[in-house]
Amino acid sequence: MHDLKDVEAADTMGRKRSQIFFVLAIVFFAGQAAYFGSSPATRDSHARIGAWLILVILILMLLATGGFLFRGRKVLDLLNDETSRLNRLASQALGFWVTIITALVVYVESIFDAVSLNEGIHIIVTTGVGAALISFAVRERRAHRIG
Amino acid sequence: MAERLLNRLREARDAKGWTQAELAARVGVSRKTINTVENRVFTPSATLAIKLAQALELSVEQLFWIER
Repeated sequence: MHDLKDVEAADTMGRKRSQIFFVLAIVFFAGQAAYFGSSPATRDSHARIGAWLILVILILMLLATGGFLFRGRKVLDLLNDETSRLNRLASQALGFWVTIITALVVYVESIFDAVSLNEGIHIIVTTGVGAALISFAVRERRAHRIG
Repeated sequence: MAERLLNRLREARDAKGWTQAELAARVGVSRKTINTVENRVFTPSATLAIKLAQALELSVEQLFWIER
């Protein structure tokens, strides 16, 4: 039997996690919209590419682990119990399909217009990772709200 | 025809006078998982179904059944 306080702490942290992931997804997409909205001459600065890369790695780690935390093993286990694990797997699957479909779209686009390797990878990774993140956040939020 | 897994988790929990969090603590899952099972959003694993039945002192068949 777990301590009721651990269950309540995991519940609070789970809600916060879904909110943080949702905001992070919006920030991520907004940042990429700004990136693609800027002129090609200025957008490929080391700082911008570096910031994107760090954010992508951070999001991938969050999606792989469910978040690195915080309040001990028991709370972490409750936070990442089978509902969360299933939501994470479903989100990763969605991210995979979005990545593949985006890659096909970029491939077709490259037949008609020049698409650089950097641009192509940036678009494919952004849509795949962003879709997985927002999917996980939405699934978790919905699971907390039902009832 | 589609099959649906139904349950009487809420009724069984209410009969014990437990909150979702109390049942979650006894079973070792989050309150969210209890909530989603009660509302049939989430189909629990066999392991969780057995743990829930044991905690509520019912058989798995009394707690879960398939509607065809």
